[in-house]
Amino acid sequence: MTAALNTALNTAEVQTTAPAPPPRRRRRLTARSLTGQAVLYGMLSALALVYIYPFLVQVATSFKTEPDAAADPVSLLPATFSMAAYERLFLHSDFPLWFANSTIVTICVTVGRVFFVSLAGYALARLRFRGRGVVFALVVAVMAVPTVVLLIPKFLVLNQLGLYNSYAGMILPLLVDAAGVFIMKNFFESIPDSVEEQARIDGAGTFRVFWSIVLPMARPALITIVILSFQGSWNELSHFIVSTQSPELTTLTKGVASLASGQLSQGTQYPLKLAAAAIMTIPVAVLFFIFQRKIMNTSEGAVKG
Amino acid sequence: MSAPVAPVATPSRPASPRHPRSRGIRRGEAGAGWLFVSPVILILGTFLLVPVLMALWVSFSDWSGRGSPLSGSVGFVGLDNYAAITTGGGLAERDFGTALRNNAWYVVLVVPLQTVLSLFLAVLVSRRILRGRGFFRTAFYFPSVTSSVAITVLWLFLFSFAGPVNQIMSAIGVAAPNWFSDPRGIVHVVLGAIGVANGPDALTGAGFLGVSWWDWLAGPSVAMSAFVLMAVFTTSGTFMLLFIAALQNIGVELTEAGMMDGASGWQRFWHITLPQLRPTLFTVITLGLIGCWQVFDQIYTGTQGGPAKTTVTPAYLSYTSAFQNQDWGVGAAIAFILFLIIIAFTVLQRWVLRDRPVSKRRIRAYQPRAAASAAPSPKEVDA
Amino acid sequence: MKRHTARTLLAAGALAVASSLLLTGCGQGFTGSGSDPSASAGDLTSSDKPLTIMIGSSGDAETKAVQDAVAAWSAKSGVSASVVAATDLSQQLSQGFAAGSPPDLFYLSTDQLAGFAGNGSLKAYGDQLANKDDFYPSLVSNFTYDNTFFCAPKDFSTLQLIINENLWTQAGLTDADTPTTWDQLAAVAAKLTTGTTKGLVFGGEYARLGAFMAQAGGRLVSEDGKTAEANSDANVAALTYVQKHLQDGTFAYASDVGAGWGGEAFGKQLGAMTIEGNWITGALGDYPDVKAKVVELPAGSAGKGTLQFTNCWGMAADSPNQKAALDLVEYLTSADQQLAFSKAFGPMPSVQSAAETWKSDNPSLVAFLNGADYAQGVPTNKGAADVVKDFNAQLESLKTGDPKKILDSVQSNLEAVVG
Repeated sequence: MTAALNTALNTAEVQTTAPAPPPRRRRRLTARSLTGQAVLYGMLSALALVYIYPFLVQVATSFKTEPDAAADPVSLLPATFSMAAYERLFLHSDFPLWFANSTIVTICVTVGRVFFVSLAGYALARLRFRGRGVVFALVVAVMAVPTVVLLIPKFLVLNQLGLYNSYAGMILPLLVDAAGVFIMKNFFESIPDSVEEQARIDGAGTFRVFWSIVLPMARPALITIVILSFQGSWNELSHFIVSTQSPELTTLTKGVASLASGQLSQGTQYPLKLAAAAIMTIPVAVLFFIFQRKIMNTSEGAVKG
Repeated sequence: MSAPVAPVATPSRPASPRHPRSRGIRRGEAGAGWLFVSPVILILGTFLLVPVLMALWVSFSDWSGRGSPLSGSVGFVGLDNYAAITTGGGLAERDFGTALRNNAWYVVLVVPLQTVLSLFLAVLVSRRILRGRGFFRTAFYFPSVTSSVAITVLWLFLFSFAGPVNQIMSAIGVAAPNWFSDPRGIVHVVLGAIGVANGPDALTGAGFLGVSWWDWLAGPSVAMSAFVLMAVFTTSGTFMLLFIAALQNIGVELTEAGMMDGASGWQRFWHITLPQLRPTLFTVITLGLIGCWQVFDQIYTGTQGGPAKTTVTPAYLSYTSAFQNQDWGVGAAIAFILFLIIIAFTVLQRWVLRDRPVSKRRIRAYQPRAAASAAPSPKEVDA
Repeated sequence: MKRHTARTLLAAGALAVASSLLLTGCGQGFTGSGSDPSASAGDLTSSDKPLTIMIGSSGDAETKAVQDAVAAWSAKSGVSASVVAATDLSQQLSQGFAAGSPPDLFYLSTDQLAGFAGNGSLKAYGDQLANKDDFYPSLVSNFTYDNTFFCAPKDFSTLQLIINENLWTQAGLTDADTPTTWDQLAAVAAKLTTGTTKGLVFGGEYARLGAFMAQAGGRLVSEDGKTAEANSDANVAALTYVQKHLQDGTFAYASDVGAGWGGEAFGKQLGAMTIEGNWITGALGDYPDVKAKVVELPAGSAGKGTLQFTNCWGMAADSPNQKAALDLVEYLTSADQQLAFSKAFGPMPSVQSAAETWKSDNPSLVAFLNGADYAQGVPTNKGAADVVKDFNAQLESLKTGDPKKILDSVQSNLEAVVG
């Protein structure tokens, strides 16, 4: 679902060219418009609080002791600041291994996806070859298949190919993403091919044209692919459930999920679980904040209030 | 990168547009083309196309989980697996009915809620007089980047028996349920509050897929409702962005025309803005439907089917039938029925939101009553 | 566009057929090894391959204990072996079997025996065990499928009543008040119930309420496993008794008081008494302030009754080194080794020769072992686990439900499975 969702997001982005801003009207500060503004800010602030509070309480609870978390779950300040949860997580569990596995898989998948998806997108957009339409139709058709249908059979196929329970089995199926091909194809179709024509006239081969000329121009779309791939593979769960079984290959998602069902101890150890969930969120959050503008893609200047 | 020098009439183009360019500067293009798309074809084919076909075979076979499903000893059993979950009359059918019921209520609640909320947020955030727009957008979108596992763990804490939500609820005097352990359907709870404890015999006697009609109408359980809230929390941000992009594309001329004609803010929104958002609305609802019918990660991490099987979804049932009960055929059958349901819903939704031609009565309302009337023609309004 | 559609379908079809053929060819090669429940007991495989043992551990103590034991055996026998603690044992087992690479030895619960034995994944080695006659007969029957003794029980636990001694004396109760009948239990629970603590808290599932059913003389499936007896009057009486006290607030389910299981509720003093098994000793380490005493559960109308739980050492039919695995199992189920396990993480030895030593080593836990004389096992028929899961789902609303109706539905589900 995320794949299709993000495609829609990105097609929306691509289409968005904010119209010329209307001439700024002088607003008379009527009482009405003041209350209107107050109401607006009030509502937005209340909603923003509802959206932010859970994460704040998550971080706060991870620094509480367990009895403290049970006694006073609402407060954002631990009664006694305690690193016990993090200590347990990093020193007495497989958490670092899970983190390492997730990192390995995510980096491989992101690099691979960027490369293969842009290759395919370029070929589908620019190169003429027989069966191009068929391939594109295949890509679009695949995007429609819900992931739930693939849960069991992907396991069976990995099994048959001997890739079950290996890094290859975790990485290979994620290397290509139909939505990514779709995005890159749309992007390449939207840029003029004059520069490429020029390069061809100068005698460059197809791959050379792709690698040295077109790819650098595709930076915005490539950044989108990087973001989507990183997020997608870091947050992936069901694929790792079916493709691995040994503890050495557990990723963060699978590990934290098993933690949630009470692995490291009996009973509800909330500070520990919340700490794990918080650390798990940090890399995607960092990526999000760095590329925020790109993700949000609204030119601040156009509709500044 | 100088301005293109290529002449207007490109001499290297052969006369027929379909003729492959085997000469000139485009030599080798076909080969390169196939080479470039081969990784994609290989991986998509092997890990998406073939698995679907294999699953189809397993759903029609009696493979029990040992060895290869394509081996000679695995037999074809026709529609037996499908029959077991739709008409079998046993526990398998009841579990499937329960899963469908749970997921159907989930969809019924989540899709409208998330659509309305994200539209509301988008409208608020797009107001021109707003400062700090970026902060609010970030706040609303942030939950969407986190993984479902992390959010589920957080939610398990928030809605635990002595967790923050219950503390806040008791602080304001509302009775706080034991969220993730409460299997009562909320419709039943509401009916119980007004005195209807047990259903009429007509509803409790008969049923569909092993679940009585009274239970079908039980609504999502309290535990499932917590998941509904979680879904709205995590997806409203993404859809908000879609709506923001769409709102920006709406020209202001029509809204201004409406203002000049004396339409109130609400009327302007309902009759002018909303119809222009139709494509985005369609996208949001479709994506919402497709996503909601596949709920798995949250159930696997959080409740594993829940209090009294009220959070079992077809996707999770497919997984447990196969991996825990060794009922691979049934698991695959459930997955394919789910596939069909998703397609059906998408098609239905497409039909409901299609562009209908304007009715004659409407057109007449806009015909100029007098020569001096400056009302816009119907074609311009119904975008 | 029509031509493209036709071509698309054709290309997709060709690709699919080609890939399927390819996959069939380079498959794992486990063709034709269909279901064979009574696998030939005589021939065990033998090779130099190291052994893999997969366990579903209850915590660090258990993992370490098993690892130490296996390492000691490795040193003695010269065969290398490694222990893997599974995160989700049943899922990993089923994936392992489907992939053709299962662990050689693994914990196998009574629920899963029928499923895996039925599809030929297990090697039936029970009759070849040197210490076959030392196991408790009820445990042996728990692991007999299709008249074949499949695997060696590795330990067992029974349920008994755990009492919080501090809260007990605070409520003015003495040893003489230890309940021996249902009425006494209700009275004591009422005395122990205060604002923040319930008298008796336990998990809301068959694995706990079944003890009451046993005390009333009922069971889910007859002892020979051939008849479903879920809706007997005895069972209805048991559920009605529990329902009455759930309603008057002296009994409670663990989830209703905000705990994950009875042991947690007991440890956090949300309940003054609980019904749990031997594993409670390990869990109580987390709650050092609570003083616990184990007594036998009260008797119902049919006398004393409780449930017993056990796992066995399952052996994979695909294991390349079954001879060594058998040797390891004999080592791990020897009286000395089981006593060591018991010291480490709690459960009782499955061999009768260790009983006396265990009793003298654990005088406070004797009640658990006494339970072995009258304990019932859980149903082991194929598909029974699902029915029990459904039963548990219905038990969650026992407080407001109808015991007869619940048991009737369980009866009809069981009949489909048992017949």
